[in-house]
Amino acid sequence: MQLPVLNEAPAAKGGCAASSCGSTDNQMDSLPDSIREKVQNHPCYSEDAHHYFARMHVAVAPACNIQCHYCNRKYDCANESRPGVVSELLTPDQAVKKTMAVAANIPQMTVLGIAGPGDPLANPERTFETFRRLSEEAPDIKLCVSTNGLALPDAVEELSKHNIDHVTITINCVDPEIGAKIYPWIFWKNKRIKGVKGAKILIEQQQKGLEMLIAKGILVKVNSVMIPGVNDQHLAEVSKVVKSKGAFLHNVMPLIAEAEHGTFYGVMGQRGPTPDELQDLQDSCSGDMNMMRHCRQCRADAVGMLGEDRGDEFTLDKIEDMEIDYQAAMEKRKVIHQAIQAEMDSKRLEKAEKAQQHKQEPKLTTRPVLMAVATSGQGVINVHFGHAKEFLIYEASPDGVRFISHRKADQYCGGDSTCGDGESTLQVTIRALAGCEAVLCSKVGYEPWEQLEAAGIQPNGEHAMEPIEEAVMAVYKEMAAAGKLDEKPETVRASA
Amino acid sequence: MAVKIIESCVNCFACEPVCPSNAIYEAKPHFLVDSKKCTECEGDFPVFQCASICPIEGAILDSLGLAINPPGSLTGIPPEKMAEAMAELQSH
Repeated sequence: MQLPVLNEAPAAKGGCAASSCGSTDNQMDSLPDSIREKVQNHPCYSEDAHHYFARMHVAVAPACNIQCHYCNRKYDCANESRPGVVSELLTPDQAVKKTMAVAANIPQMTVLGIAGPGDPLANPERTFETFRRLSEEAPDIKLCVSTNGLALPDAVEELSKHNIDHVTITINCVDPEIGAKIYPWIFWKNKRIKGVKGAKILIEQQQKGLEMLIAKGILVKVNSVMIPGVNDQHLAEVSKVVKSKGAFLHNVMPLIAEAEHGTFYGVMGQRGPTPDELQDLQDSCSGDMNMMRHCRQCRADAVGMLGEDRGDEFTLDKIEDMEIDYQAAMEKRKVIHQAIQAEMDSKRLEKAEKAQQHKQEPKLTTRPVLMAVATSGQGVINVHFGHAKEFLIYEASPDGVRFISHRKADQYCGGDSTCGDGESTLQVTIRALAGCEAVLCSKVGYEPWEQLEAAGIQPNGEHAMEPIEEAVMAVYKEMAAAGKLDEKPETVRASA
Repeated sequence: MAVKIIESCVNCFACEPVCPSNAIYEAKPHFLVDSKKCTECEGDFPVFQCASICPIEGAILDSLGLAINPPGSLTGIPPEKMAEAMAELQSH
């Protein structure tokens, strides 16, 4: 069985990547080698890397200098998973200790980010003290920071001193009129400034900071929150602007807004985008920009692979008792990183070869299909349907297989029998997979099998431990051969 | 003449560094203002610095005991709308 892969960066350097010809949607292929090298083990900057490497955030930065309508500063909640939420605030000293404990215990953790719960650059002392100590004491960890951009121009010099070569700026707009609908106020030059005037200053600072980082050779990713009816029509413009200034990756994320979060958007009933709306916007931006689609919008104290959170294993009282020999840990980490890198390289080569073969086959003319995949990493199908906390969504088409997004299996409401509408967890999961025509996992039980089929989603447990893209293409070809792709799917693509 | 931080403070540290009089200090269960040091920013700034960066409505009171940032003034959520949403959640 031959198969093409669209999103992955092949090992071959230079020239046209075999897997990407004719596609405008590859996350990495158009990047220069120098950038690719910097991001190849960064799970948040490389879709490929996120199957293998883990990250962590340390919550050292509580203060913020702006208010966003999707944020509630009463952030202390352990049951929520979204940006800006943390369980324990750390001092720089505690953060260093925690980082080294995690690095020793989860050797595939390559990246330490500071992302809040406020704005890291509105807490310059705590943030830079953490970075300074980690760059000395744990030099094998990549450091990165995310910011709203207001204090960024003043921080660029300091950032470059600490060897921080990845910065994420959240830019939701380049138009102050739109900004006023997202940011009620900023704190600027000893005053709270509201409305369009505040948004204008914020936008100017973000753009200036972006330009300064690029001039310093620091990699910049831009995050945008997609807010239907507010900035959804505007984000393609944002994508163009930030790309023209040198940002290398754009991550458009869906708004998370529930009344119980107590945010402006949540309480006022602003809805988030549907998976289709998000995908359409990402696709429309992708002609101009590398798009990131694997973001999990994690907490400001998340630990582990992107789809998981192992923060509970590294609480303050637990790390207090851990004795860490970091020199020994670094040796071990180095060996493991090399092994992972070798595995990734060989898989990339294999994929590039298969893609080459696929190009020589007669091309199918069938319609594209979305499929859900249960995986816990390593790029293979290795999770039981009932154990999956999330599914990765891939699109198979005659052009190949491309990664689209992830969907959570356990929705915010919990979805158990106590839920108002009486939906079971299984029903909630099936609803989350709306639009998919197949789900690939290592095993599927009898009950979910029947219900999935009834919902028009073909369960498939035949590709356990196989590489995701190969398996998805194999199933696609089976569907094509069975004549299932000749007409429109019965299920509606969009989920409500 | 001093402002006061009350229990709705979420300990975000934002006010501490902007105080021109170093009157704000970390304490349990929440930050406090040293009333002997607080000048209400007089002579330094035309507006209270702590209350100009504080994100929590009602967390800082003026010397009359009134909220410097009353409900709805920072989040833009009309208080009646917030009450409605909370009542709705309680009923579940």
